[in-house]
Amino acid sequence: MASVYKSISKTISKDIKDDDGIKRNKQRVLVLTSRGVTYRHRHLLKDVVAMLPHSRKDAKLDTKSKLYHLNEIADLYNCNNVLFFEARKRQDLYMWMSKAPNGPCIKLHVQNLHTMEELNFTGNALKGSRPILSFDAAFDQTPAMTLIKEVLLHIFGVPKGARKSKPFVDHVLSFTIADGKIWFRNYQISEAEPTKKVDDDIEKSMSLKSKKPTEQTELSLVEIGPRFVMTPIIILEGSFGGPVIYENKEFVSPNAVRTDLRNRRAQKYNSRTEEQQRLEIKRKELGLEVGKAKGELDESVLFA
Amino acid sequence: MAKSKSKLKNALLRQLGKDPVRDKQRKISRRQPKTSKRKETDGDGVVVNGADKDVEGWEDEDEDENEDENEDEAPELVDAARKASKKSAKVAVTEEEDDDDDEEEEEDEEEEGVELEEKEEEKEEDDEESDIAFSDIDGDDLEAPDTLPYQKLTINNHSALTQALERIALPLSSLPFVEHQSLTTDVPVEIRDVDDDLSRELAFYKQALDAANLGRKKLAKDGMPFARPTDYFAEMLKDDEHMGTIKQKLLDEAANKKAAAEARRQRDLKKFGKQVQFAKLEERNKAKKDTLEKIQVLKRKRQGTDTDFTNEADMFDVALDDAAAPGGRRDKKDRDPSGRSKAKRQKKDQKYGHGGKKRFSKSGDAASSSDLTGFSARKNKTTFSGTKKKRPGKSKRAGTR
Repeated sequence: MASVYKSISKTISKDIKDDDGIKRNKQRVLVLTSRGVTYRHRHLLKDVVAMLPHSRKDAKLDTKSKLYHLNEIADLYNCNNVLFFEARKRQDLYMWMSKAPNGPCIKLHVQNLHTMEELNFTGNALKGSRPILSFDAAFDQTPAMTLIKEVLLHIFGVPKGARKSKPFVDHVLSFTIADGKIWFRNYQISEAEPTKKVDDDIEKSMSLKSKKPTEQTELSLVEIGPRFVMTPIIILEGSFGGPVIYENKEFVSPNAVRTDLRNRRAQKYNSRTEEQQRLEIKRKELGLEVGKAKGELDESVLFA
Repeated sequence: MAKSKSKLKNALLRQLGKDPVRDKQRKISRRQPKTSKRKETDGDGVVVNGADKDVEGWEDEDEDENEDENEDEAPELVDAARKASKKSAKVAVTEEEDDDDDEEEEEDEEEEGVELEEKEEEKEEDDEESDIAFSDIDGDDLEAPDTLPYQKLTINNHSALTQALERIALPLSSLPFVEHQSLTTDVPVEIRDVDDDLSRELAFYKQALDAANLGRKKLAKDGMPFARPTDYFAEMLKDDEHMGTIKQKLLDEAANKKAAAEARRQRDLKKFGKQVQFAKLEERNKAKKDTLEKIQVLKRKRQGTDTDFTNEADMFDVALDDAAAPGGRRDKKDRDPSGRSKAKRQKKDQKYGHGGKKRFSKSGDAASSSDLTGFSARKNKTTFSGTKKKRPGKSKRAGTR
């Protein structure tokens, strides 16, 4: 009976609720990886889970072909977002971001991955504090990127009042588009008293003009980590299914890159062997055979 | 898919009276639209760029309706393939592209009259994009002439994207800032060179800092807490152990830097150290000599044997005497016959052992051979002690007896 109620109540969109006329942002993210991740990918997962108090971490998914099972898992955990890391060949990491029941689904290729642990940045933040999300204006230039921005906002933005979240803001997540890729950075906001000796007079004049308590401290940022770069590949209309509605034409798969590299190396070898063969033939034609037995009248034999 | 397509094509070609023998060319043409095996997208609101669309379009629609179009198109396809095989497909593909677009528009007109204006707008955008992609591909081809040029067919379905966005979008305009805490920059972040780490990171930093400042302002306006109070302790993103290792790493780095600087200083010192030491010794010796001289003079004064010369020296300023001493007055006794000063010889003896040069020290030279101090005529006449005395002659012996 409960499940029936659940299924019925789920039809109402859960993202925005009107409780007492107040609009709410409700998000829950299922975070998991596929099998075959390396330690680095695992550490990234650890970092992401630590950053997102509204996330639910699940065991590694066994399959890489039947990703639609993720919808059921998300349903099981009451999650309306899925962040799925798919590792291929133990080196390439793909990230799937999906709005679970029927929303769009985005596949991204993750590169230049550096986890919090290996970066050794001095920044630190409260576990579960809500970040300020900073997006590049370039996200609004194409509909695909706007959609990606929205999904990023749902997944990486910690909703207000999320379980285990803290009421303070002490870090910024920045998403920037450069070179057709999305660059992710995580900074700590550190507040410091403004330098008094240098511009004492200016400050006095400032304080006379505007007596805001918040303006007294100067903000500066210290990076926390992790760092990674995402290249959008495709967007599906459904969650892990449905028609493709966007495809990045600039994306080159890492396999293609590797093949190209290997071919180029092979070409080098081929040209070298070809050259050797040609030389041999030429020598034969001229009667200059290499490795021929020395005759009696050979110079080196005669004048030995 | 591919087989049925080729059958279709063959039939068409036969209809047109063309020879279906050109297997190779067709193979190449089949190879070209690589994405033909991709899932077919929804009929309405889907815009597919490139040549693949019309191939699929044949199957969907009755042949009778589109026969005219197909007749126009089929030779084009073959031509394009042939040209592609000659690696000069640029012009052909672009022509084809143009044709396709026209046809698509026509089809759309037939099918849907309602959303026509919107679609056309979108299509124009798409055309622009595909043009850009063409130029990109051309550039790549120029770099790597061996690769077969083919257009990567991509889907960019604007209406479906916007629809999906509308379905999931949070009403950011009506939500209070506290709910979402997201900010978008006013202008796109421009990074001139992505490979330049410093400028790139600076751009990211600036973006984040602006967001932090603006966010604080907005939160302050809503009366929400921003900064963590100093006495609020909770679990951190990085635990104490991790922060400890980071701290240790920083300390180690600083220590390493310091050690390196010290080592460099030491190296430099070693380079000049010998000179410095030598100068110091010299000075000390000189001071010693001066004091000794003064003592000598004083002694002589006491004994009353002091000469006019020393008196005079005393009467003059001592400093002047000192200054003049090394340069001017120098006895001939101080100098070696070789021209070097005795002091230097002494110095060297002290340094290397006091004998000086051992080689040829026992061989005679002009001075030693002319030196007759050790010579006495009497001694010269004496015989060596070791030699026996000569036996005198017979007559002498007889005489002494």
